[in-house]
Formats: sequence, C-alpha cells, structure tokens
Amino acid sequence: MRAASEKMRQVAAEALAEQQVTAVLGWRKKDFWWQSPVAFVETAAAAEQLTFDPFSVYNPVKYLLEEDSARAKIGVFVKGCDSRAVNRLLQDKRLERERVLLFGLPCSGKADPAKIRAAFPAKKIQEVVFEGEELVVLLTDGEERAPASDFLLEKCLTCRHPNPVVYDQLLWEQVPVRAGVDERRFARVKKVGQKEPEERYAYWANQLGRCIRCFACRNVCPACNCRSCVFDQAEPRWLGKANDMADTLNYHIIRAFHVAGRCFECGECERICPSGIPLQEINRRLIMDIDKYFGPYEAGLDPGDSPPLGTYRGEDPAGFDES
Amino acid sequence: MSVTQEGFEPLIVAFCCNWCSYAGADLAGTSRLSYPPNVRVIRVPCSGRVNPSFIVRAFQRGADGVLVAGCHPGDCHYHSGNYHARRRFTVLKQLLEYLGIEPERFQVRWISGSEGAKFASVMDDLTENVRKLGPNRKLRDAR
Repeated sequence: MRAASEKMRQVAAEALAEQQVTAVLGWRKKDFWWQSPVAFVETAAAAEQLTFDPFSVYNPVKYLLEEDSARAKIGVFVKGCDSRAVNRLLQDKRLERERVLLFGLPCSGKADPAKIRAAFPAKKIQEVVFEGEELVVLLTDGEERAPASDFLLEKCLTCRHPNPVVYDQLLWEQVPVRAGVDERRFARVKKVGQKEPEERYAYWANQLGRCIRCFACRNVCPACNCRSCVFDQAEPRWLGKANDMADTLNYHIIRAFHVAGRCFECGECERICPSGIPLQEINRRLIMDIDKYFGPYEAGLDPGDSPPLGTYRGEDPAGFDES
Repeated sequence: MSVTQEGFEPLIVAFCCNWCSYAGADLAGTSRLSYPPNVRVIRVPCSGRVNPSFIVRAFQRGADGVLVAGCHPGDCHYHSGNYHARRRFTVLKQLLEYLGIEPERFQVRWISGSEGAKFASVMDDLTENVRKLGPNRKLRDAR
C-alpha cells in the first residue's frame, strides 16, 4: 500500500509538472486513522500528501460536478467503482471525456472502520495498512495482523469490477474479482423478498423510519447528478418537509426509482447513511427486476448505451396485468 | 374517503390517457354503463406522461387505489409513450410491492377508446379489491 501511495504521488507530480493537468483529485490522510477524504491537489509539491490506503473509499468523481467547467484538464484517480461513476457522468452528459485524465487504480477492496474498531483496541490504533492479503494494524504497543478479507466494506465484498473500466493510464497490475461475488450480490435482497408482505412493510417501516432526510444518499450518488433535484423543488413541492412516514417513503421510492437502471452498485449511499439504512437492498432489487424483465444490464460500463428505462422494445413483458 | 372500516368507501384515482382510456370512459358514459362513483378520473396526455411522483402523491393525499390507464401497446398516439410507461410501471409496481405496499392498490391497464365495457369492469374490480383491503394507511400523509 505504501508503494501504491508512492506511485500515485509520482504520477500526480509528473502530470502537474508537465502541465498535462491543472489539478488532481485523489485522497489524503486526515487527522484520524480511518479518514482518507478526497484531496484536491494543484501543485507538484502538494502531490506529496496523496495517499492510497485502506480508507481511500470516497468517490472523487462526483467532485468534478462542483468544479468550474472553465478549468482546463483535471487528473482523477479512479478505482473500479469510481471509473464507472465517470461513465455514469459521461452517459448523462454531465462531463466531457476530454476534460479529465484518468489514472486507473485496480483495487482489491477498502476497509470498514467499524469492523476494525470491533476487533482491535480502537483507542490504541495508530495506523492501518494493507500488506498483500493481510490487514496490518499498528498499535501504540505493537502491531496485529489479520486476513484483509474479514475487514472489507460490504460494498467491496460484492464488487464485480475491481479494475477500472475506463482510464488513460493504469498504475499497477489488474486484480482478480473476489470469489463468490455473484452469490452475495442479491443475497440480502432475496432474504427481504422472502418475507411476508406485512412483515416486509414492518421491516421497511423500521429501516426507513430512521431516515432523517439529510439527503446524503442523494448527494453522494453518482447517478443523482441532475442540475436541480425534484426533492429541492419548492413549486410544486413534491416532497413534504414534515417528519412523516409517508414523506419518507415518498423520498425513498422516488430516489430509488430515479436511479433505476442507472445505479451501478457502488454502495456509497449505504456507506454514507448516518442512520444505517440498507439502501443497497432497494437499489439492487430494482437491478434484479430490470434484469428479469428487460434482460441483464449493468450500468456504468458503456457510456454509449441507453439505460433500460430510457428505451423499450415492443415485445417487453409487463410486470402488471396486461389483460 | 371514510377512514372507518365499516361502510368504508375507497377513493380511486385513475390517470387516463386522453386518446384511449379517457375516450373509453366517455364511451362507458354514453353507453349508459355504470361504474363506481369512487373513481376520480384525471386526464393526462399519455400514460407516458404519468410521473411516478404523481402516483406516490395521490396515495399521500388520500387515494386508496391508483390506476394508470393507457392505449394498448402499439396504439400510442405519440408512438411510444405507453411502451416507456410499461417499463417504468413494471419497475415501480415491483418496488412498491417489495416495500410492503399491497399490490392491488396500484394497477396499470390498457383500455382503448372502444372498450367502454372494459373501462367499467376494470373500475368495478379495482374498487371492490381496494374496498376489501381497507383504507391506505401506509402511504398516506398523517397530517
């Protein structure tokens, strides 16, 4: 992992020094061991702070939307999921491919701080790194090692594209897809689907009832990239402001529907949710239905294709009574 | 409508496409066929015009059942509006069901301008089914 950070710094510094790009988006280490937020680097000297560690999980691609479109080329470090976010923005015509220089980072998964806190004395942790297939936890009084796969984020355990699908330059060797990904992909959705209807409502009323409508899931989502959002609209007001279960359901139904056929399972919504709502169980259910009715489709792989809900075939089956 | 289970009269909101289903409702009327007065018809240009938000909002504001009715596949006045609607509402219907909303409450039907009798019978069935389910409490505004 240290070698990875080194390589990253070197590549970023070169690109900035040679003026191939005016800025680079990557990650840097912040105050605590579990924090590696997105960094915006503008000089070769500042590239020294870039890091690629077990917590460089945040998607830098959505930051491109905030950036002044007049700025010349920007370099972006992309993991597998981030690269699909690039395709997402390209497909939605929110980004021009020429504006970005993509440095591809094959990624074998990121760590879940909660899992690490539960397994090691949290207050003693100084630093956490990956070494091959091992997770190394440096403590104030020594170090501990454990298999990395036990400490990965849920979204990484179900990742089908660990290697970037679009890039200009790949920084190191591609990594294999984790075993058992396809079995795990819809496991949670199927489990919820097996419940009786009333039980299912109770389950969702409990899960979604915790929603504080902070809209973090929308803000982080690479598929939610509209210039103005239906939930912010005041006239007509589509979503009430009251603390009301019906409004919460409205939000979650419409949010999920708006990303149907466009969500590529990066799982950021679920990771970011302060209330721990399993949003991937809703998004994946839509993916399952789309696969079932309109044929298998994976979003974020080809910016040139049309999303399933933006097209049709005459012979489509209907999920309702057509008689 | 009434929230007591006894004598409960459901409120049904029907989004009918201007070219087929609304004409079907007209035909039901001119043919002197009766259908339940619980149905409120909202005329829309096309079933493809119906935004999923319309449906959720109708439920929030007191509908106990919602119907989207459009032209049969292949008959759309705008060529493909109902094909898009078919994909959309296939997904939306599964989603509502997955979240535990009774599937009978949200229906999509193709009713042409010559199917006055079908319009009346769809409205009869829908009203009856929703009446059996009782009032919609899950998606209704508490206010």
